[in-house]
Amino acid sequence: MTAQGSTKVPTYCYQCVAGPDLLTVRVVDGVATEVEPNFKAADVVPSAGKVCVKAFGLIQKTYNPNRVLAPMKRTNPRKGRDQDPQFVPISWDEALDTIAAKIKQVTAEGGRDASGYPRIAASFGGGGTPTYYMGTLPALLASIGPIDFGFGSGQGVKCYHSEHLYGELWHRAFTVAPDTPQCDYILSFGYNVEASGGVCGVKRHAEARARRGKRVQIEPHLSVTGACSSEWIPIRPKTDAAFLFALIHVLVHEEHSGLDLPFLKHKTNSPYLLAPHGYYLRDQTTHKPLIWDANTQSAVPFDTPNTDPVLQGQFTLDGLEIGADDEQWSHQGVSSQPVFQQLLDHMKSYTPEWAAEICDVEHKTIRRLAQEFLQHARVGETVVIEGRELPYRPVAVVLGKTVNNGWGGFDCCWARTFLACLVGALEVPGGTLGTTVRLNRPAVDRNASVRPHPDGFMDYPMNPTKKADWVSPPDVRNANRTLIPLVANSPWSQALGPTHLAWMQQQKGPENWPKPTPPGIWFVYRTNPAISLWDTKQITEVMAKFPFTVCFAYTRDETNHMADLLLPDCTDLESLQLIRVGGTKFIEQFWETKGFALRQPVVEAQGDARDLTWIATELAHRSGVLKEYNEAINRGAAGVPLKQNGHDFSLDVHREHSVEEIWDAACRAASAEVTEGKKTYGLEYFKENGWLLSPFPRLKWYLYAALEDQGLRFELPYQERLMRTGQELGRRLHEQKISWWDEQLEEYEPLPMWRDYPRMWEKALEKNFGVDINDYPFWATTARSMQYLWGGNVGIQMIHEVARNIKGHGGVIVNTKRATELGITDGDQIEIRSPLNVTYGKVVTRQGIRPDTVLMIGQFDHWATPLAKDFHVPSLNSLVPMLLDLTDSTGSGADLTRVQISKVGTP
Amino acid sequence: MSRWVMVADLNRCVGCQTCTAACKHTNATAPGVQWRKVLDLEVGEYPDVSRVFVPVGCQHCAEPPCMHVCPTTATRQREDGVVTIDYDLCIGCGYCIVACPYQARFKVTDPTQAYRQKRMPQEWKNEQPERLGVAQKCTFCSDRIDHGLVNGLTPGIDPEATPACVNACIADALVFGDIEDTSSNVSQLLAENQYFRMHEELETEPGFYYLWDSKSDKNEWDSGREA
Amino acid sequence: MNGINPWLQTHWDWRAAGNFITGGCGSGLLLITAVATLRGGPVTELTLLSLALVLVGLALVWFELGRPWRFLHVFFNPHTSWLTREAIVAMPLLALGLAAASTGWLSLLWIAAIAGIAFLYCQGRILVAAKGIPVWRTPRIMGLILTSGIAEGCGVYLLVIPWLEPETMGEIYPALLTLLLILIGGRLAAWWAYRDSLKDKAPKAALEVIDRSSSIFIAVGHIAPTLAVMLAWLFPEARLVWGVVAGVLAALAGWFIKTVIITRAAFNQGYAVEHSPARGGGKSGPGTKPGWE
Repeated sequence: MTAQGSTKVPTYCYQCVAGPDLLTVRVVDGVATEVEPNFKAADVVPSAGKVCVKAFGLIQKTYNPNRVLAPMKRTNPRKGRDQDPQFVPISWDEALDTIAAKIKQVTAEGGRDASGYPRIAASFGGGGTPTYYMGTLPALLASIGPIDFGFGSGQGVKCYHSEHLYGELWHRAFTVAPDTPQCDYILSFGYNVEASGGVCGVKRHAEARARRGKRVQIEPHLSVTGACSSEWIPIRPKTDAAFLFALIHVLVHEEHSGLDLPFLKHKTNSPYLLAPHGYYLRDQTTHKPLIWDANTQSAVPFDTPNTDPVLQGQFTLDGLEIGADDEQWSHQGVSSQPVFQQLLDHMKSYTPEWAAEICDVEHKTIRRLAQEFLQHARVGETVVIEGRELPYRPVAVVLGKTVNNGWGGFDCCWARTFLACLVGALEVPGGTLGTTVRLNRPAVDRNASVRPHPDGFMDYPMNPTKKADWVSPPDVRNANRTLIPLVANSPWSQALGPTHLAWMQQQKGPENWPKPTPPGIWFVYRTNPAISLWDTKQITEVMAKFPFTVCFAYTRDETNHMADLLLPDCTDLESLQLIRVGGTKFIEQFWETKGFALRQPVVEAQGDARDLTWIATELAHRSGVLKEYNEAINRGAAGVPLKQNGHDFSLDVHREHSVEEIWDAACRAASAEVTEGKKTYGLEYFKENGWLLSPFPRLKWYLYAALEDQGLRFELPYQERLMRTGQELGRRLHEQKISWWDEQLEEYEPLPMWRDYPRMWEKALEKNFGVDINDYPFWATTARSMQYLWGGNVGIQMIHEVARNIKGHGGVIVNTKRATELGITDGDQIEIRSPLNVTYGKVVTRQGIRPDTVLMIGQFDHWATPLAKDFHVPSLNSLVPMLLDLTDSTGSGADLTRVQISKVGTP
Repeated sequence: MSRWVMVADLNRCVGCQTCTAACKHTNATAPGVQWRKVLDLEVGEYPDVSRVFVPVGCQHCAEPPCMHVCPTTATRQREDGVVTIDYDLCIGCGYCIVACPYQARFKVTDPTQAYRQKRMPQEWKNEQPERLGVAQKCTFCSDRIDHGLVNGLTPGIDPEATPACVNACIADALVFGDIEDTSSNVSQLLAENQYFRMHEELETEPGFYYLWDSKSDKNEWDSGREA
Repeated sequence: MNGINPWLQTHWDWRAAGNFITGGCGSGLLLITAVATLRGGPVTELTLLSLALVLVGLALVWFELGRPWRFLHVFFNPHTSWLTREAIVAMPLLALGLAAASTGWLSLLWIAAIAGIAFLYCQGRILVAAKGIPVWRTPRIMGLILTSGIAEGCGVYLLVIPWLEPETMGEIYPALLTLLLILIGGRLAAWWAYRDSLKDKAPKAALEVIDRSSSIFIAVGHIAPTLAVMLAWLFPEARLVWGVVAGVLAALAGWFIKTVIITRAAFNQGYAVEHSPARGGGKSGPGTKPGWE
């Protein structure tokens, strides 16, 4: 690697969830000098082999002189922001032995503590992207006992949380995207694809614009995505649900004839008949939900062939109703109406005129957009994809952060998905697609996760709420399986629990709940919760109380300031890992290929940094779990099962394997998978070529086909199952005298009802802080920055330099006219005060923001990270409180608070 | 003869600065020096406001004021339109910098580094002592163009012969090619779209074209947005 | 990084301004020296002073070079560069001036003075050719540079001559005072013409600087010297004092306004788009020129 001369080394960048992207790095005499697109990949991946600006930060990331390059131990036992940790360098032996001894000690005491919580916790950031850098660390964690992954650093509050959960329920859509390559019309509520959609998203939307596709951005500020949209509508923060409801109102009450009625009748639960308690009216013998068939003028089970289901009307009939905890009511001659009729009544009052007041958007605009949406939907048209005829509906509604999480997120996700149903645009070419599953299984193919539920929908791995198997007491600190039935039980589920609950209860546990305990060991990798969650002051204080914290450390930062040990791991261009790519993944990553790509050491590791696979293997060996660790790798903990397609590359479980041996086996197994056993390639092949791909059928982008094959419907618009689940969960909680989750239980409603969400925030702030909300006249919000998002790259000079070309990176964005009225001009230093806390920053005046809103891009306010601590850029995270009142039933919150601003200095 | 020009499609550009970063890598420019960058402009007043991202840099003018003022002939124009700087001739008087109405030229007097405490290995490797104290700017990656032409490649089509910013652009907003060739990518774009060049009133004849609308669907902005 | 509004260029700083000040003033002084010989004015010392001023200006430019030891390259582009031409003209200017000073030959002095005017003309053209700086590139700056250079020279002459040759004062001084009045009158007219030419042709920030400086320039460089000249006429016994005052103020104001134009009002062109683009199926819109009104 120190060879003289110039070479180009292929690798990948997966710093954000909208990856991976393939690239090459030019290496001159052993020094990485230049990142370039991987031109050879131009025709095989949707990014055309290109990478975004963040990847160009990787070379400085490697050579950054602020890196931690030797294991360090803390010598100051006192922890806190005001304490100097007094880290001193130690040997790897000492570091690893210390951790191994601690693991042995903790596991000897039993994996769980007196409260039933795992004694070991681990936190990873970046929407799961650390997985693509952490080598075999998952195998180590799998072999040392139960782990609490619940101390999040943004999950739930910074992610598309409600979308993840409801999306998976309704259409296997952990993330939702338009079928951008074929979509002509997009209503985008704060979806910031030009900042967070990665190369693939940006490229596809640019193509859509070039063919004159229209996208309307509905958002309080004129974001980068708003800038690239055909039209910008500055909506009042957190009122999107009202806007969406009004769109539905226009479609169902004013444009009814244009709807995709066959889709509604046969692909949704719109015709299902409802019983008096709000559950489906069912067939007495089969327990199947009933519909009213116009052909036979009778109620028949939903799956009766050759029916013409009726959507509207009122019928008198007999049937069975099944409620919570299998409570049953046998009805004779009851009045029943189909779901769609109920929906019509439900949406009646949500007129554009009603929404206009709430959203501060003209009702004419709302009505026009509903009509445009319908006009572009091409209801009735079809297209042939790989020989199969599918509906063609080039319209979509997409939602962004703060819209699709926190209170109101359910309403918005529901309305978005149902809008697609109204015109038959869900999971069909041109329409609204899910792109990955994380809660359902198998994770590698969302189509394969389509399994039937007796009621005619897709089954869903809901956490139990029946008395016999409800998970109580909670098995992890954020109580995800206990409180959130929808979060399922996949490896991702913990991270999606109410993450802030884990942090909040460390300060003060809720009533009738296990005693909060800190983890005995806390591992931290590629995350910095001390600045990337809310109420950063409280979070920092909590982590200072953790007894033994091990941070994989790139540079010093705000979280590892509290660490007991710092471990320098190899960064992106120094380490080795094979990952699964393609198929359908996060955001807009739906590919026409799938396979594997390799990240390889482009240059030698700096200092004493070590590959995470080496660290994991060493720790497994020293902790006495080498066999379990190797077995985990063999099972697939490193991304691919080592035995498959007639080949067995399993590792000898009794001995330590080198990093290269492990990944060579992974490469061989992966290539056997890709070629269906025909060929196997070792590490050298992947090092040379970078990837191995095989075709991925485009038909698999559209779940419609899989549902049609199994005769299933989308579980929309009516949420009978959720209502039952909520009822049961409420009973379980109340049986344990827990009432602090009651407000969340109210969200389990069959059809969402508008609540005054902005007022909900105002009231929560008034109640918890005793303030008069009128003293805090601005809504404070945030937005992602393409240059920084998920990158963990705030310490990189070049990123800072180029990011400053985009307005807002230097401070807080305030409407120009409003600022002038307040005597504030561009560049002034201001104080931004929320009921919780205060921060400071420079004003950036812009026309493109509502006068009642201020915006802080990204997450800054660093005080320990080198370089970044000198930015003096404010962060919303310092200002937003963690409050149970502002936590919805999925356990998520939204990036929103009220603030006052005042000038404290001039430029 | 070829005349190389850049076309920036303002409909496509998202302001991501990938071109900015790619240029910094390929041309090993010093911290703070951006031969290529993307502006973030606002037009209008709230709520009737739009935001425009505008890639800028040396416009490789047909009538380059920088060249005319240069006392040393360090700045020259090649037959293919590329405006070049001979670092060995330049005396660093800065006259070209004030003559350029596109703020495209830079002068760095002393060696700089990204981090105060240490020069990183790639900074040593990329050292450009010949650039100290003299004028510097975008070269249209002329070394790539020349290398490509020698090897039978087409600039603007083959990545090895194309400026780094164009190669890197993730929105395909930047397009490079020969305007003298009526069938070239850039000629076609200019034929199909409405475009302007920046500061045309200054009669510099820039070689950088900004597409702002298609010709087939001519919009009349002065009639206002839809109600 | 610099933003989207025109920003103040910093590549030509006080050293460049110094060249326009001392070079311009030196050329002007040389011309006045020649003119004053018509009424018996001295040659040697004032010629040498003129050359010294020009040399100081050139030295300041040399200090501004990024690669000072390549200074001879400055002569490479006489075809189009007014900076090359200024450097070339400086050669006969200095040589002839030196010859005139050493021989006292008036014909040499006159030719040197013509070279000085050519030098001054080059200075003006240097600014006009700097297309990147709106407050420089207006052709009307030529009048200002020429009149101010000569007026400054005249002012310096008025300052120096009483010490140099008190005995010839009676002959020269009244005429020089009149000449100064004419010159600053001309400069004022040039200034107004210059300012007028900038209307809508320079960034807001640049115009603000120009306008903030204008009253000082007019008051100090024009009204006050005019009053001083009047006082010199009204009170012949104090003519010398008022003459010196008038001369010094006329020169200082010229130096001041050149400093302002070169270093404080020299905002660059900035950026502009003629149209905002149609995004996808949306509509295109008007353009913008940030920092301009």
